[in-house]
Amino acid sequence: MNSRLLASLLLTAILSCTAASAAPTGPVIKLFPTTVLEDIRETSSVAAEMENNLQEIIARLDMQQKLYSESLCDGADGDQGCTRMAKQLGETYLEMLNAMGERLPEMERAVNNTRSSLEKRLRQELGQRTTPTTLQEQLLGQQTATGRTDRPALRGRSGVRLSDRFKQYYDLVATHKNGPSKSLAVVAADIYLDMEEASVLISATQQEIGRAALMEQLNQSFGLITPEMSAVVGGVKEILFGESSNATPIASPPYEIGQTEFVSPLEM
Amino acid sequence: MIRITLLGLLLLTAAAGCTTTNVSSHCSLALPGNLDRAISEVEQRLASGCEYQFDSYFQQLLSMAEENPDSENKVRFSDHLLRVNEMGVISQRQAREYYNRYFNVKFVSLSGDYNTCAQACPVQAEVMSNMRNELRDKQVGLLKASDDKSAYYRADHLLKEADLVLEATCRACAAGNPEAVGVR
Repeated sequence: MNSRLLASLLLTAILSCTAASAAPTGPVIKLFPTTVLEDIRETSSVAAEMENNLQEIIARLDMQQKLYSESLCDGADGDQGCTRMAKQLGETYLEMLNAMGERLPEMERAVNNTRSSLEKRLRQELGQRTTPTTLQEQLLGQQTATGRTDRPALRGRSGVRLSDRFKQYYDLVATHKNGPSKSLAVVAADIYLDMEEASVLISATQQEIGRAALMEQLNQSFGLITPEMSAVVGGVKEILFGESSNATPIASPPYEIGQTEFVSPLEM
Repeated sequence: MIRITLLGLLLLTAAAGCTTTNVSSHCSLALPGNLDRAISEVEQRLASGCEYQFDSYFQQLLSMAEENPDSENKVRFSDHLLRVNEMGVISQRQAREYYNRYFNVKFVSLSGDYNTCAQACPVQAEVMSNMRNELRDKQVGLLKASDDKSAYYRADHLLKEADLVLEATCRACAAGNPEAVGVR
């Protein structure tokens, strides 16, 4: 449970910044005013601190895990050397949990701030000032009649550090670096949904950390390396440092360039 | 005098009966294999008492277009719908709906002039379900009949983006108006 929560939490956080994105073309929709951008930048900074804090611990965990495996300790019950290594691993694992526990309240605050500010903008700009018709036009606005657009790769892109993703995201919405072909509405929606999920998961994870730490303290007396521990460490590495890829973009349309489209007088 | 009138009425009734039978059989005949000829035939029939068959004809024409994909099919159907509208068989609104449902990237199912919180969010699930059904029609019109992969994928992408954006927007709307939660 704990490992799944931690992994989900971090995954959710990484996904939020994954939402590549945007620059407006049509009517001005102010989804990312300065306050929202500041919230995102702060979340990026908190994520960076969390990474720095965990990087050394995780590297140590990796080393210890490698040593443990290379020493053929898996299943070697009763071997004193293996028991010692398992205990060291457990201690490092506890250290990681504590580091996360310390950083989570700050992460929670940053995530909640971003979520609240985005929620307000989404409600005002897309909910109250936009009709379903104009919403559709807004989304379609980036897709030109002559074809290709660089759609945001939504949810699931991996391989980049968490803080870097936030920086990329900040750059996208703050400076429109990636050109005018992406939908801010989609980015805002994606980030908001992820932040909402992250917020719930952070609360749940905080509750779980205490319990997991206690369990690990108990395990210390027996020198166990549980599959849960391995899963948590794997999840944290994947999410914080992008060590594995699990890209599932929502669509990859094979746009064709240069076609001119027929426009019917009946078109909406 | 009365006899003559009655006889006349009798003959008229008989003639009307014959006419109905002819129109009915005429309306149900198979369409020619060539799409242009079929469209022309349909329009002639619609002008001669087969209006009630419009939807059936439209589906038959779509099936023929599916068997003979061509980027020009979009134009053929647009022109056909415009002519049928001019003939008074369908309204301009219906013509637009037919065309856009099958041949436009945009979704007829996601339209309206009230704000999104008020109009789309209370029926969000229904809107999405209708959009998914409409995408199936676009698959017929854009992908199969018009061989326009690019447009179809744009519609597919638009549906996914609309799903995401509506989900977020409606949650935000509900958060600002807790009484509205659960109206989906």
